[in-house]
Amino acid sequence: MRSLTLFAACLCSIFTTTAADANLSTPLSSHQILPDNFKPPQVFKNANLLRNINLEKGYVRETINVVIENIDAKEQDTYYIPFKAEAIGNVGGIEVRDKKDPEKAAFHSEVVEYDPYSPTQFYRVTLSSPLAPSTQQTLSISYHVLSALAPLPATINQQDKQYLYYTFSTYWPSAYLTEKQKTKIKFSTADIPDYTAEPLREGKTFTYGPFEQTPAGVEQEASVRYEFTRPITHATLLERDVEISQWGGNLATEERYWLTNKGAHLAGHFSRVEWARTQHYNPPTSALRMLTLPLQVGSLNPYFTDDIGNVSTSRFRSNIREANLELKPRYPVFGGWKYSFKVGWDASLGSFLRKLKKGDGYVLRVPFLEGPKMGEGVSYEKVDLRVILPEGATNVLYESPIPVVASEVSSHKTFMDTLGRTTLKLTAMNVVDEAREKYVIVTYDYPFIAAYRKPFTIFAGIMTVFATAWGIGRLDVSIARP
Amino acid sequence: MVTSGIIYHVLRLLSMPVDIRNICVLLAPGFSGLTAFASYLITSEMTTSPSAGLLAAVFMGITPGYISRSVAGSYDNEAIAIFLLVFTFFLWIKSVKNGSAMWGALTALFYGYMVSAWGGYVFITNLLPLHTFVLICMGRYSPRLYVSYSTWFALGTLASMQVPFVGFLPIRSSDHMSALGKFGLKDEDCGNRLTVPGVFGLLQLVAFVEFIRQQVPNKQFQTLLRGLIFVVFVVSMGVLVLLTVSGVIAPWSGRFYSLWDTGYAKIHIPIIASVSEHQPTAWPAFFFDLNLMIWLFPAGVYMCFQQLKDEHVFVVIYAVLASYFAGVMVRLMLTLTPVVCIAAALALSSILDTYLVAENPIPKEPQSNGQARGDSVKSTTDMIKDSLRSTRNPILGIYSYISKASVVGAVTTYLLLFVLHCTWVTSNAYSSPSVVLASKLPDGSQHIIDDYREAYYWLRQNTADKAKIMSWWDYGYQIGGMADRPTLVDNNTWNNTHIATVGKAMSSREEVSYPILRQHDVDYVLVVFGGLLGYSGDDINKFLWMVRISEGIWPEEINERNYFTARGEYRVDDEATPTMRNSLMYKMSYYNYNALFPAGQAQDRVRGSKLPADGPQLSTLEEAFTSENWIIRIYKVKDLDNVGRDHASAVAFDKGNKKKKTAKRRGARVLRVE
Repeated sequence: MRSLTLFAACLCSIFTTTAADANLSTPLSSHQILPDNFKPPQVFKNANLLRNINLEKGYVRETINVVIENIDAKEQDTYYIPFKAEAIGNVGGIEVRDKKDPEKAAFHSEVVEYDPYSPTQFYRVTLSSPLAPSTQQTLSISYHVLSALAPLPATINQQDKQYLYYTFSTYWPSAYLTEKQKTKIKFSTADIPDYTAEPLREGKTFTYGPFEQTPAGVEQEASVRYEFTRPITHATLLERDVEISQWGGNLATEERYWLTNKGAHLAGHFSRVEWARTQHYNPPTSALRMLTLPLQVGSLNPYFTDDIGNVSTSRFRSNIREANLELKPRYPVFGGWKYSFKVGWDASLGSFLRKLKKGDGYVLRVPFLEGPKMGEGVSYEKVDLRVILPEGATNVLYESPIPVVASEVSSHKTFMDTLGRTTLKLTAMNVVDEAREKYVIVTYDYPFIAAYRKPFTIFAGIMTVFATAWGIGRLDVSIARP
Repeated sequence: MVTSGIIYHVLRLLSMPVDIRNICVLLAPGFSGLTAFASYLITSEMTTSPSAGLLAAVFMGITPGYISRSVAGSYDNEAIAIFLLVFTFFLWIKSVKNGSAMWGALTALFYGYMVSAWGGYVFITNLLPLHTFVLICMGRYSPRLYVSYSTWFALGTLASMQVPFVGFLPIRSSDHMSALGKFGLKDEDCGNRLTVPGVFGLLQLVAFVEFIRQQVPNKQFQTLLRGLIFVVFVVSMGVLVLLTVSGVIAPWSGRFYSLWDTGYAKIHIPIIASVSEHQPTAWPAFFFDLNLMIWLFPAGVYMCFQQLKDEHVFVVIYAVLASYFAGVMVRLMLTLTPVVCIAAALALSSILDTYLVAENPIPKEPQSNGQARGDSVKSTTDMIKDSLRSTRNPILGIYSYISKASVVGAVTTYLLLFVLHCTWVTSNAYSSPSVVLASKLPDGSQHIIDDYREAYYWLRQNTADKAKIMSWWDYGYQIGGMADRPTLVDNNTWNNTHIATVGKAMSSREEVSYPILRQHDVDYVLVVFGGLLGYSGDDINKFLWMVRISEGIWPEEINERNYFTARGEYRVDDEATPTMRNSLMYKMSYYNYNALFPAGQAQDRVRGSKLPADGPQLSTLEEAFTSENWIIRIYKVKDLDNVGRDHASAVAFDKGNKKKKTAKRRGARVLRVE
């Protein structure tokens, strides 16, 4: 099991690309297999480290600002970030940037392949320019961890508050000596009944430390149990199709969700009486009642269906400033319940597609995710993004802001296609709703001739039918009469 | 189903991946277009007037009697079957007219398709032989009839035997749908399979006799004929009796009787009577479904009598049979509709053809004058024509513009009203799906009550894959399709005992029902309850049928009388009988319903009655899900108690009730003498 998650994570790394060099055309197998006895060379130290753990959402978001110093005699450019083996499969969206220069592209970071039985696994960050000896650089490391929160108690009554339990280390598990560090945790409420390791408590924030001179790999386990009476919306799979119609000037989006609420299960059964009674004053609940999808302004014709047809409980508010799609599942989704559905809408292609000045090239820029935007956040275990380009599109290149596990160019055959439409499929693991603001850029060539393939084919087909009908009509098959 | 599959694959082949669901939804409207075309063809065979066919097609297209089965989404066997019915009849008439083996073979082909599509093919099976028989009796035997009937019989029977559930029944059963249980009983069955081979044999005899008559002198022929008739009669009766007695041919089934005696089903087979479509038709239904055509229909049939060619005989027979059957069962209105459209179109077109001619009819005389001017000598026939009154062709026609205008105006008004009526009926009665209830809010906006799908989707997403659901059979298909879970009984359950078992579980006390539920591995029980919303099609209103059906199997355990009060009322309030209030159905419907209302105010809006202050208690089931408007309530069947208590005492223990100490009897000991 562990090797499986590791494998997934490794896969993740193999194709992990930063915004700078993401492309299908360049080989991405720069990963390195480390020897079994690997230990990160002690060439850095963390001079100062501030770790922020954000527990305001249904997943864990960590941001680490660290001043690193090269203590080696030579220039160094490889920085290792250790993770526990059981956690690394749930880590996503890792991004390492230069704190001083946030505009610059993020550094290249990837999971390194290593002894699958080791309790510690590594992400390797390659700095864009090597760090000279005895110089410092400030890194901003951010990532999120999915499935790290567990409801405790695991079953609650319908109206009870929900508490989540989170275990972590008060020291950031660094591969290097840390001279000074501090860990801050931010909660969404101040209702935190249980915690360990004596933090400094200020309202909704806990501060651990400062700790001096923490050696590499040292951990101090701590845990918190805090109130979070909101649904933990988790999509086990999201299939997102973006289909371009260059003839119609339309960008059709369809998203298929397999949602589940990872919150506390109901202790007994669902009681409609209680639910109906509490609906009037709208108390916080661990059940998922509504999903809001802010779409791109100008989106049209939304639909919300599931396996058994149209879901009549949705609203679409569209005006010049916003286009909000409010979805209400057929039933409140309590902890452990599932709900799968499909939404789709159209948008004008003009704001997403641009033709290059010369040649037949086009550039498409679409959001990586357009899923629900909720206060408590949404996490996605796996996202399959398909960009369906027009029939006959060639030379497909892409750039993804999210680390992509696998990518594939295939063909998708649908209405009146002869060859099938060129389709780019990107698969990402452990994504959160922050990816809404990030854009995938796809470029492709679409020659003038290819656009006329379909009309010509249909014309030829109909002409063939006519010709055949004419030919058959001229045959004389009657039995000769005497 | 095969049809939609074929359409689906053909479209895919043409690289048009239309969702199979869309094909299914649009199949019925698509085929209703074909039906309209087929009724155009068949009507055009009846008359020379070109307008009759068009009128028939229009009528067929909009009449509510057929719209009920051809609105988008009514994906049923009837959707294609009515087209096949009409088209088969058209082919049959064509083949009788032409005496052509090709048309006969085509008839057989479409007949075979019809057999595979709908149980109502029996209607064709009986109508065509009857037509032939009547023609023979009318002395209209002709080689054309012989060719077409023989072709159809041979090929059609072979074709129908290819359909698995028909198999060899055509030659074995007198009413071969008997084996098909409820599926069959939902489809009409007008009788006797024997007529087909019987008429076939008769036809052969007649043909043989005709042949002999041409060969043998008249005198000897008479004797021969008498002998032949006697021998054939005795032999065939003997064989029939022998076969029926020996069991090779099955005797008549109950459903067959129910067609002749409308009360039969109610007394003997409650499950047939429980289907609302199997009720005898109320007379307004005819007007509702057919509107102005209902009075044009007899006129059209009368006009068929006037001409009475072979094809008109067919229409007359069809009209008589279908009218009778439509009176027996509501759903057979469907088979009546085509012939009504044809007859009404015939009548109306002759009215229009007569009145809708703008110029006055030109008398023959100017014409003959013109001739006379050309030819100087009148022929003798012309002279006879003029002299004899009987040979003179009367000039028929309407001269007065007022009468023309008034009649045409009236007919136009009728037709417009007919269109209005059809659209009104279609939008009000036949367009709303039964699963989604639409209502209007006070501000006029539409409000959709989607409880069924809410609950079914909950079942689909949040129960174990193999969880078995028990509900009344009406919801079996819906649960199978939308919730994707196995059910105990569904709309295609033929086994009456099985349905009765569910009925028994619903109508018995919990202590009796629980073992039944356990035996059948039931995980969830689903009931439909309309009390909160005033939705009248709920299970409490269907409950008496459950009681009756289970009473049919277990008369000593279930007794319908016990569910009525002493005054014979069916009540759910304080005065409901103990049997009623202890039945599982009652408990499941009203469980926890009191909590929605202030104490003692619980109201059932369907039955319009106030409920008892104390709601029913359930011990063997627990509420798992209730939809937003309480229409669907799902209960989970509890597992056996861990400590081996019975559920009632386990529930009492959980509530903290003290165990009632059985009061010891301290009376004097009595010696039991029994």
